[in-house]
Amino acid sequence: MESNGKVLLINHEKCTGCRLCEQVCAVKHDGISNPTRSRIRVMKWEMEGLYIPMSCQQCQDAPCLTGCPVGAIARNETMNRVEVDYDICIGCRTCVSVCPFGAMNYNVIDRKVAKCDLCDGEPQCVRFCEVKAVEYVDGGDVSIEKKRHAALRLSMASKQAAALDEHAV
Amino acid sequence: MAIEGKQLTGAESLQKTRTFGKVRCHNPSCMERIVPEKGANHAKCPTCGMEFRIFWVNPKLPRIRGPVWDVNKRIAQERFEQVQKAKEKGGK
Amino acid sequence: MALDRKIAYINLTTGDIKVKPIPIEVRKKFLGGRGLDAYLLLNHTEQGCDPIGPDNALIVSGGILTATCASATARTHVMAKSPLTGLLGSCNMGGFFAPEMAWAGFHHLVIKGKAKKPVYIYIHNGEIEIRDAANLWGKTVTDTQWAIREELDDEEVKSLVIGPAGENLVAFANVMTGIKNAGGRTGMGCVLGSKNLKAIACRGTMDIKIAHPVEALEYNKRFIDQITGAKVSQTQGTLGTPFIWGATNSWGGVRTENFRYNQLEYADDIEPERIDEIATETMGPYHMAGCYGCQVHCRAQYKIPSGKYKGKYDEGPEYTSQGAFGGEVGCRSAETVLAGNHLVDQFGMDNLETGSMIAWAMEMYEEGIITPEQTDGIDLRFGNDEAVLEMIERICYRKGWLGDVLAKGGIPASEDVGKNSFDYLIQVKGMANLHSDERATPGLALNIATSSRGSDHLRSRPAIDLYHLPEKVLRKIYSTPVPYDGPLSSEHTEYIGKPWQVFWQENCYMAVDSLGICKYHTTFLGATLPNFEDWPTVLYYNTGLEFTPEEIWQIARRNNMLERLFNLREGLTRNDPKKGDVLNHRYHDEPCKRGAIDVIGRYIDKEKFDVMVDEFYEHKGLDKNGIPKKKTLIELGLENEPSHML
Repeated sequence: MESNGKVLLINHEKCTGCRLCEQVCAVKHDGISNPTRSRIRVMKWEMEGLYIPMSCQQCQDAPCLTGCPVGAIARNETMNRVEVDYDICIGCRTCVSVCPFGAMNYNVIDRKVAKCDLCDGEPQCVRFCEVKAVEYVDGGDVSIEKKRHAALRLSMASKQAAALDEHAV
Repeated sequence: MAIEGKQLTGAESLQKTRTFGKVRCHNPSCMERIVPEKGANHAKCPTCGMEFRIFWVNPKLPRIRGPVWDVNKRIAQERFEQVQKAKEKGGK
Repeated sequence: MALDRKIAYINLTTGDIKVKPIPIEVRKKFLGGRGLDAYLLLNHTEQGCDPIGPDNALIVSGGILTATCASATARTHVMAKSPLTGLLGSCNMGGFFAPEMAWAGFHHLVIKGKAKKPVYIYIHNGEIEIRDAANLWGKTVTDTQWAIREELDDEEVKSLVIGPAGENLVAFANVMTGIKNAGGRTGMGCVLGSKNLKAIACRGTMDIKIAHPVEALEYNKRFIDQITGAKVSQTQGTLGTPFIWGATNSWGGVRTENFRYNQLEYADDIEPERIDEIATETMGPYHMAGCYGCQVHCRAQYKIPSGKYKGKYDEGPEYTSQGAFGGEVGCRSAETVLAGNHLVDQFGMDNLETGSMIAWAMEMYEEGIITPEQTDGIDLRFGNDEAVLEMIERICYRKGWLGDVLAKGGIPASEDVGKNSFDYLIQVKGMANLHSDERATPGLALNIATSSRGSDHLRSRPAIDLYHLPEKVLRKIYSTPVPYDGPLSSEHTEYIGKPWQVFWQENCYMAVDSLGICKYHTTFLGATLPNFEDWPTVLYYNTGLEFTPEEIWQIARRNNMLERLFNLREGLTRNDPKKGDVLNHRYHDEPCKRGAIDVIGRYIDKEKFDVMVDEFYEHKGLDKNGIPKKKTLIELGLENEPSHML
């Protein structure tokens, strides 16, 4: 199998805060609707209209992987993801405490940690997000859209500056 | 309960009646379909003459933003006077 | 399982709390949400109970599908006897409250009694606690919610709260959740206030097991595609509900200056596109937000661009705010609409009723029925933006003679104002009409006249009637799931066939309200959105319960009849101008003066209207006086109400 270079790309500006991603994630993985089981969670600052979906970044040098005392966490290069081997996992939650994004979940019902597994290549959060706040894209070009937007902003800024110069006389 | 995966329900079967790219004239007795030119911000009903400002929700989906006030207000006033006259004649 | 969510009975006088399961027979008979609420209200209140007394039952619920893997099941329903109308009080709102309540273990709450001092209820994973709310009393809607989160030290708590209007017993105070999700109409916030209940806070992490998760997920996708593919959803997801006001104003279907005109001319500044521009300018290009699990995202975020309230963040406005603080009061300023919307959101007060009361006072002020002394010198002429904003505050805090009078709601206020003020009151059953003007649309006029909670567009409005759909399409929609071969007309200015459409819509909306789904996901504004035939599948995959479309139709009829029984018990009679299925005389006596060519001169013909009501009653199984026939009650299994199953 060819190596899968795709990554989950979150553009929080587009997020409408509906939390459908949480719903479908939990149903897909556990057959249960319960946001605490979801691998993706939308953090909100309601008075600022700010909604930010948070999920595993599948880090290259993953703290959860490094920190796991029993070596239950490994990188799967084929899927381009970090995964938990539940046969080895002892449920100590070290990974939960070291993850810089809070993306390693723990639910008290099953007493298990859980993280995004990219739905084995077909992330449901992406499939259901109509506004494309969560996308599944080729890792190689992950920042090209951002570059394009930033470039446009720069060009607008320089045009505006030029216009101001003209009027300044 | 066997769910017939492919069979369409009534509402689903009506999906093919969705028409993009057109708006309907706002005059009840007219309701003519108006096809604004792509990106145009103005359209006139070819049947009843009312004029509307157009907004594009997306490149395929126009909607009537509102009347061209000066035109439609004049049409409305003329109509109102007619109705008043007819009423007087009718002795009501 | 969704079906193991419970019902709690909370007595605020004694502090007693009882929790019971909801039997499956009850589910099969009423589903949940608004339908089961109606059953509970009929069973847990006595005839003639005081709406603001301890014996009124306040019922809070989610639908049977709430927080399952079904699209847009965010709706919270609240019911009680209404302090505004003395009849059915009922409101429905989006946001995130009902799902959180479901994860906390509950689908229905029945709250009775009155706390000695301000309290709030905290529900957490099956536990219910009554807590002191002394430090919350007096706080605005959002401040209350953030204070609760701080006190409970949990940012994920979702609360249903009242603002100062509810505390001050304004007859049309709302319950609110989030920034602007409002349970409006009929004054449910006033009922909370009367019970000294400031808020209900929920936090839940309990599982809701999906009966057939793989199928539920796949079907949800199909359901959602059906919805987002509709033109109306795309428009709504771009402009929010203001697009409705814009379109209606364009042809002359909104009432303006109370009821003088049917169009606000040159209203460019409050057109949906202009409001969308303001949202873009203040919040950026991605300023639409959604309720739980909904991809229509019809709620805009904005900041007030100028004026006294410049920079304040809020959400909306809904089309009702354009009506209430634009057309009805004759104002043409986006700033006023946005500021008015912000004030009622913060106060927790119904925008429609507030705008209508102010517009009513304005017309009487201009007619000389209300004097400048009575307004404390406020110049209450139509189009006075400052006066509108000032009156909103005066009503909330019951300031001045007029503020206090208007806060009582339409009919009591008209008794205080006296003279012929009642003639100017645009209401049905004591609740103000939406900002719409139904004189050119008899089907819509029938809808507001016969709606169960007073003049209302969300109970039976055949809105797709305005689209001039081919008769073949209309027939396809309106003859499913039960056959109908009577007349139907594509002409929305006609009278024929409308009673069936209103009857069909009444059942359609009851069904979604009982399921817990949003009305924008059914045949309300779009003809191709899901209805009876689509719901059994969603229900089966999520809950395992099997229904046919006909059974859901029958449940909806039953639930609507429960509301009718409640209203009849509390004094509804067909022709009572204050409690009946009738319109203000101006619908019949004053023809439309503005709008599209063929709208001008239109009015509702009284005789034809009465025939429509007769026919509507016939469809519902009521006699000529609007009272259910014995055989109808037997057919619906309601011959022994109240039956106290729950």
